[in-house]
Amino acid sequence: MSIELLLALITGAALFGVGVYGALSQTNLVMIMMGVELMLAGAMVNLVAFWRYLHPDNPAGQMFVLIVMTVMAVEMAVGFGVAIARFRAKGSVEMEEAAELKG
Amino acid sequence: MNLIATAILAPLSMMVLILLLRRLPAVLALLGAAVSLIAGIGLLSNAFNGVAGELILPGLPDMPLRLVATPLTAVLSTLVAIISSLVLVYAVGYMKQDSEKVRFFATMLLFVSAMQTLVLAGDWILLLAAWELIGLSSYLLIGFWYRRPGVRSAATRAFLYTRSADLGLYVAVFILIANAGSSDIATTLNTSGGVAVATGLLLLVAAMGKSAQTPLHDWLQRAMAGPTPVSALLHSATLVAAGAILLIRTAPMLPSETLLVIGIVGGITTVVTGLIALGERDLKRLLAASTSSQYGLMLVAVGAGVPLAALLHLIAHAAIKSSLFLGAGVFQHSRGSTALADLEGAGRDRPRLFFGFALAALALAGIPPLSGFFSKDAIIAASLASPNALVLASFALAGTVLTGAYMARALHTLWRGETRKRNIAGLGWMSAGLAGLVTLAVILGAAFPSIETLLHQSLSENTLAQILGLSAALGGLTLGWFIPGQRLLGPLLPWAQQGFAIAGGFDTWVVHPALAIARSCEQLERGLYNAALAVGRFSLDMGRAVRWSDDRGIDGLIFSLVRGTVELGNRARTLQSGLIHREMAITVVGTALIFVATFVVLFI
Repeated sequence: MSIELLLALITGAALFGVGVYGALSQTNLVMIMMGVELMLAGAMVNLVAFWRYLHPDNPAGQMFVLIVMTVMAVEMAVGFGVAIARFRAKGSVEMEEAAELKG
Repeated sequence: MNLIATAILAPLSMMVLILLLRRLPAVLALLGAAVSLIAGIGLLSNAFNGVAGELILPGLPDMPLRLVATPLTAVLSTLVAIISSLVLVYAVGYMKQDSEKVRFFATMLLFVSAMQTLVLAGDWILLLAAWELIGLSSYLLIGFWYRRPGVRSAATRAFLYTRSADLGLYVAVFILIANAGSSDIATTLNTSGGVAVATGLLLLVAAMGKSAQTPLHDWLQRAMAGPTPVSALLHSATLVAAGAILLIRTAPMLPSETLLVIGIVGGITTVVTGLIALGERDLKRLLAASTSSQYGLMLVAVGAGVPLAALLHLIAHAAIKSSLFLGAGVFQHSRGSTALADLEGAGRDRPRLFFGFALAALALAGIPPLSGFFSKDAIIAASLASPNALVLASFALAGTVLTGAYMARALHTLWRGETRKRNIAGLGWMSAGLAGLVTLAVILGAAFPSIETLLHQSLSENTLAQILGLSAALGGLTLGWFIPGQRLLGPLLPWAQQGFAIAGGFDTWVVHPALAIARSCEQLERGLYNAALAVGRFSLDMGRAVRWSDDRGIDGLIFSLVRGTVELGNRARTLQSGLIHREMAITVVGTALIFVATFVVLFI
């Protein structure tokens, strides 16, 4: 394994770890989604690193990253939609207060 | 022919009228009796002119209902009409204080019309119907004061005694009709041989029940519980007479063996009930026992083969006994009791009434020239002339002595004692009825020769019989007047006061077993009832058990399942916190664990 790949993987893992921390530590829905973005970004760094250093001839890796990015954008749209609806209804997006769906 | 219908229907229609109008019962009753009397006298004069009436009504197929007015039935019908009219006149006074006159007079009229039907009946079916009707109406009349203690039982006893004896009549009638092929009484009288013996005995059983002959004499004394006019009517011309009338009418067909039995039964009765009368403590019961005794004498006459003598005595006795009863009724009103002890001296209160009573008593004893002398003389003469003279004549003479003795005893009791005069309501009516009957009792003897010619029979004159009868009557009267009845009976007294109950009598031999059967039937029924109840209770318990198992078993199972599900759900929902952080933390920890596990599995 090349040193570049290792560095890239470490970067991806660090990004993922920051994302997990953010998602768990924040109470604001927008901040949680930021954490989730970071986790996805870490995953994408890994994917790109594996394509670039292990299978550069195969375009499937590149395509996979592009699809993940599309999914990320869609997920953001849905997430922010929910956040805006919640804000309009309750005046807040604090997730500690959002327990109405509890059985 | 219309006279026959009138004699029967006049009292009956008046009864209906009384029941419909519910007022003036006495007037209507007297009217009905008077019309019936006129019809009866018309029948009698027709009979004297040799005209026999007959009324044929549609009945069963080939068995029309016949009413006939032969000389015999005409005489009896007139007798019934006369006696009932006079008794009704008396009853107007007697019942003055009673509140239920409507019921009383209506039932009396039913009684009279039933008796008219009985004496005028020309066929057995009509006779049976009338026989039942007089049984019913006598039951109603004896039980008239049904609220008083003992009255209901007396009425029921009279009804049951006569009813059970009636079975004899039913069987006899069936045999006669089956044998002769016709229900006409005159036709069936041609029966002879063994059938005649058997039916004769069965008819005797029926007559014994109705005429209160030993051993069925007990009910008559208890029947005194009814009003006095009822007793007077019952004992003279109606109910009790029915038995004797039955035997007198069927006498032509009775063979000598049956006649002997009839004579002996009558003889025993006349002696036994005569002794009972001698020991009796109650005037009305004394007279009742005397009635049985006199009907015993009539049966002796029938048994001697001279029914005419029995008929004459029946007629004389009807007038005499009804006047005696009516007199006793006045005494009863005057002292408020019929016990001889209470009636001491009651005759002295009203000498004229006592004179009438005494005339009737002497007539019954057989003192000339009163009516009883002639009829008793006829009976004694008949018994002397019969083939069984020794038995029958001694019975007849003993009966005569006893009659004298108990009548003298009654007269003695009524005359000796203190006077306590008291005003009686309705005395005028009562005296009128009584006077008429006493007159009849005195002069009826003069009518006997014409009745003999009417029936084309004659009685043999017998000087010996006259002397014997007269001396027996006088001897009896002397004994009874001077020696108290209780002492006269001597050792027989307690026995006589119990009505000569042999080993406890009917009460022990018939009533107690019947009651025992009834009781065991009741017990059986109670057992069945309890068994049915137990079955019901078991089913109920079963039902309750099923319900319990349903409640606790099936329902319990289902409910516990439901409860379990709900609890499981409750538990499951605590897993869902609704807090994103916690869910997410769990996810992260879980994923980490999976990674670790995968790493361990893959690389170690």
